[in-house]
Amino acid sequence: MQTVVVTAVGVLVAVVALVALVGQAVRGDRTVGAQLSVHAVHDATVDDAFYRCIDIQARSLVRPGQTVALRTDNLADVVTMIKGFGSWVTVADPASRADVVLTLRDGPAAPGTCLGTRVVGTSTGPDGARVVHLGTGAEVAGQGPPPAPPL
Amino acid sequence: MTTAPATVVALVVLAAAGLVPVVAAVGPRWVTVPLAPLGGAVVAGLAATASLSFGGPLLAWFAFLAVAGAAAAVALRAARPELGPWGRALRADRATGHHRGVDRRRAAGVVGVVAVVVACAWSLRGLRSPTVGFDARALWVMRPGWFLQSHAQLLVDMRARGLVLTQSAYPPLVSASAAVAWGVTGVHTARLGVTTVAVLNACALCAAALAVVEIGRTAATRLAGGSPADGAVGRGSAPRPGVRPPWAPMVAGVAAAVLLVLVAAGVTEPFLTNGYADPLWSLAAVGAAAFGLQSGSDWSNRATTVVLVLVAGLSKDEGLVTALALVALVAARSIGGAGLRGDGRRWRLPIAVAAGEVAVLGWWPLLMHAIGARGASSTFTTSNGTAARASAVVHGMSPYLHVLVLAVPLSALAALALSAVRRRSGVGNDLWAWAALAVGLVAVGGALVTGTGAIVPWIRSTVHRITEYPILQAWWIIAVWAVVASGAVGGTRRGTGSGAPGVDRARSDDGAVHAGPSATPSDPLSDVPSGAPSDTSVGAAR
Repeated sequence: MQTVVVTAVGVLVAVVALVALVGQAVRGDRTVGAQLSVHAVHDATVDDAFYRCIDIQARSLVRPGQTVALRTDNLADVVTMIKGFGSWVTVADPASRADVVLTLRDGPAAPGTCLGTRVVGTSTGPDGARVVHLGTGAEVAGQGPPPAPPL
Repeated sequence: MTTAPATVVALVVLAAAGLVPVVAAVGPRWVTVPLAPLGGAVVAGLAATASLSFGGPLLAWFAFLAVAGAAAAVALRAARPELGPWGRALRADRATGHHRGVDRRRAAGVVGVVAVVVACAWSLRGLRSPTVGFDARALWVMRPGWFLQSHAQLLVDMRARGLVLTQSAYPPLVSASAAVAWGVTGVHTARLGVTTVAVLNACALCAAALAVVEIGRTAATRLAGGSPADGAVGRGSAPRPGVRPPWAPMVAGVAAAVLLVLVAAGVTEPFLTNGYADPLWSLAAVGAAAFGLQSGSDWSNRATTVVLVLVAGLSKDEGLVTALALVALVAARSIGGAGLRGDGRRWRLPIAVAAGEVAVLGWWPLLMHAIGARGASSTFTTSNGTAARASAVVHGMSPYLHVLVLAVPLSALAALALSAVRRRSGVGNDLWAWAALAVGLVAVGGALVTGTGAIVPWIRSTVHRITEYPILQAWWIIAVWAVVASGAVGGTRRGTGSGAPGVDRARSDDGAVHAGPSATPSDPLSDVPSGAPSDTSVGAAR
């Protein structure tokens, strides 16, 4: 009797577990496949192009060795700048001593912008005057913000 | 250099850094292959910690620690050859020689490895999309640039309040591995960071899946009357000469492992291939639980567990808490009932290993507090909204944990009827796996309940990632029961007499039937059969 019970439960457990695994594996494989949908690839491509664009514009504003501060009056823009060029800028400490203050100027789509956003650098000229430069070297046509990737 | 060859170079460099210590500690096993890059990632994480602690370039620390680790492993091997898995494995091989049982076992291992690797590679096809995740771009593959800057600048980056992101105090392994990739290839792109992390994810997934293949092979061996070598359970054991291990557990192990890879890829996408740290710590923790709490308690499995625990704990805060809990669970299992009853010798090694793991895991968070890093201060709160937060956490997580609706009753039913089969198969007690799942849930849930952030948006934006570990752990529990159950079923056809079906009997090449090792555990959580396997052969000829 014990043998029969153990065998029956063994069959039941093995079948249920393997069927569930197969079902979930099929679902999982579809989830992976969805990453390759035209929509997903397009969004990822636009996102990638946007951040590459503001990266290039920031590089056009900061010379090697210059320290940088990111203007913090707009949290979303700070995060965008960190994502775009936070890995290579030399952050000034304290921020008031930065050679260049970088910020983003969001606006309508226009030539020379990254989905309507342009990186702006503010520095102090030799005469002590405030000098504003616009980032150059890259553009992405269209209107931002870029498609939000999954959090 | 484009991203693809740069990723290969990065993987080779990481694997080279981890190879000697991993091979020395784990031994000649298939799981050593995916563990080597993970070991290199641990070296990278420690190099980042050392670089921030003492100054000096990350890559110099990486090279130094890799060479020092290899030298220490070789020196230990020369000085104490009896330690580690090599001597035992070789002795076991010499003792058993080649026969059909061993060949079957090896064939299952080769097929399992090939199938798991193919499944892992297939699951990485999401990399064909150029996705870089939000957090990946903001943190995980942004910090590598910081790690490659000067020590003084790195301190500024970690402390400056103007950079606002408090997550920059998260453990270093993911970013440090990407930094090594950037440093050795000269390709400083977020994309290379993403591909490097994705390959590490695949390695962790492969290791965790191979644990199930190994469980199937071990179960088959033990059902064929195999005896543990040198006190080990499973690893290093071989079927009794002339006895063929049943195919069912081995086939079920391979099938379950492949299915688990596909399941895990679905659970962790899109984060598996977009640079997030969540899949890495989750998969490494699942692998650590599989090798440390479900497989045999031998030297090699313990070493595998250590590597995976360190990967989990050095990858993210949630992984750190879960890894510390796993360290405690693995130590408790190693000490076991005998240790609690006063056998002091069973305490020394587990406690020493656990202390070493805690020391390594605790270095980074202590350093973050010491340097006053952003986000390092405690966010613990005892606000009067605890009940509401707890309710929000439960309701937020519940929809993602539907696998428990299957796993709980299946485990309960299986535990009632198949516990003896499980013990005889050499598979760890199911309660250890559930304990590992529970501590992961409690760790993450506790962080959410006691945190200070607005709970609803916090949960909405993270719940699908922070529940990856308990979901995966539940699927691993289901898969292990499938392997155990197949052992019961697969042997029934051959069984001819009394006792639990299948597990007691396996047919030898000459038609004799041998009993498997009996289990008479006195400890409720015991998973090591106490009967002497070699004494239980009934040698009944059909």
